[in-house]
Amino acid sequence: MLLVVTYSRRARETLRNACRAHEETVVRRFGRAALLRETEYGAFLACRLRERHAADVQIERTEPFNEFADAPESVREAAAAYEDRESPSTPYDRFAAGTEYPDPAAMREREL
Amino acid sequence: MTGSSAESPFALRLPDGTVQRGPVVDLREGAVGTALSLHRLRRAIRDGRPTGPEAPAVSSPPPGATHAHVARLAFDTRIRTRAALAAVAFDRGVETPHDDDLLEAARSLRSHSPAPIDDGELRDARRKAAEAGAETDRLRERVATVRGRVTALREAAADDARRSPETDEGVADAETALSDATRRLSEAATERVAATQRLKLLEAQARNARDGRNTRISLEDRLENCRRKVRAARVDAVSDEFHAARRETVRRVHGLDEAASDALPTDVPEFVDALAVARIAPIRAPVVVAGDVVGAFGGADAAFEWLDAPLVIC
Repeated sequence: MLLVVTYSRRARETLRNACRAHEETVVRRFGRAALLRETEYGAFLACRLRERHAADVQIERTEPFNEFADAPESVREAAAAYEDRESPSTPYDRFAAGTEYPDPAAMREREL
Repeated sequence: MTGSSAESPFALRLPDGTVQRGPVVDLREGAVGTALSLHRLRRAIRDGRPTGPEAPAVSSPPPGATHAHVARLAFDTRIRTRAALAAVAFDRGVETPHDDDLLEAARSLRSHSPAPIDDGELRDARRKAAEAGAETDRLRERVATVRGRVTALREAAADDARRSPETDEGVADAETALSDATRRLSEAATERVAATQRLKLLEAQARNARDGRNTRISLEDRLENCRRKVRAARVDAVSDEFHAARRETVRRVHGLDEAASDALPTDVPEFVDALAVARIAPIRAPVVVAGDVVGAFGGADAAFEWLDAPLVIC
């Protein structure tokens, strides 16, 4: 999908109007951002916003996150184990300390 | 109804050179008045100076914020009542609890200048990265094709016991083409990496610069919120007086009693709003009034007294 984020009042207004006029192309609308369908028309709307508002518009192409393809097993397992922890107030740092689960600081440094 | 208008008369110099002095100038009689464009007259009042050789000139105190809302009073006058009431309160110097917030919000926004993003450069980098990618893909296919041919020729040469010089030459040519294509692919791949890295760098910079824009849009929203609050407080401050003036004006213009005021035609309310706004506003620059409005008040003097504003009747 195409994620369009606006960074000025005027760009936000244009996005709002575009979303109102082209509901079929809008997957979801947030305050000043929207997810557009990945069709040529979605691209057309995104290009128009970029033409009119230049750097006040950020456009990203998103795709579904598949944790089995995109994240290492250690990360998946750590997430599952942490969500299954007995004490809800334990922060992850403490939970992971002294275990085989990955260190949060190290995870922050490693790109997917 | 401060009596201010009487202390601030005005002078209207007509295109023919004659000068008429307010607080009330009646242009209904005579050729000059009828030839005068309403638009030019209003511009002269607003700008306070001649706007052209044939244009009228008005010397009067500067029109306040309310003036624009009631610059012309006629039966078809339309008014944005809330905006006009906020202007009345502003002209009166009404203070609201949100004034300081508004000033502060405006100041924050003024002093905030988000880092520039060179959009042209970014667009250029996007195009180069896309082109370098396409070129690399094209050359990769070319290398695969040529490599296939070299392999085929080599195998054919090996099978051929009595190799002719032509066959050797064919293999050599194909090998040259392959090394040429491979070299170009490697160059294109290098360019692609460079273009991709440059784009990544510029995008990262743009992302950082957008943090500043994020702040700016919050500041703009805050300013708008403050404005809305100030406007609401200003409207509140003069609302009672406005409604009283409205009721009085309805009684005055239509000669109706209070209970019957809702029997007015539906297109009249905005006109009555405009009259009531003019009545309660401190207006110093002349208001252009239509003759039939003056008639509804029972004459120029009565209209002047009621509206408490300098008038040009035409």
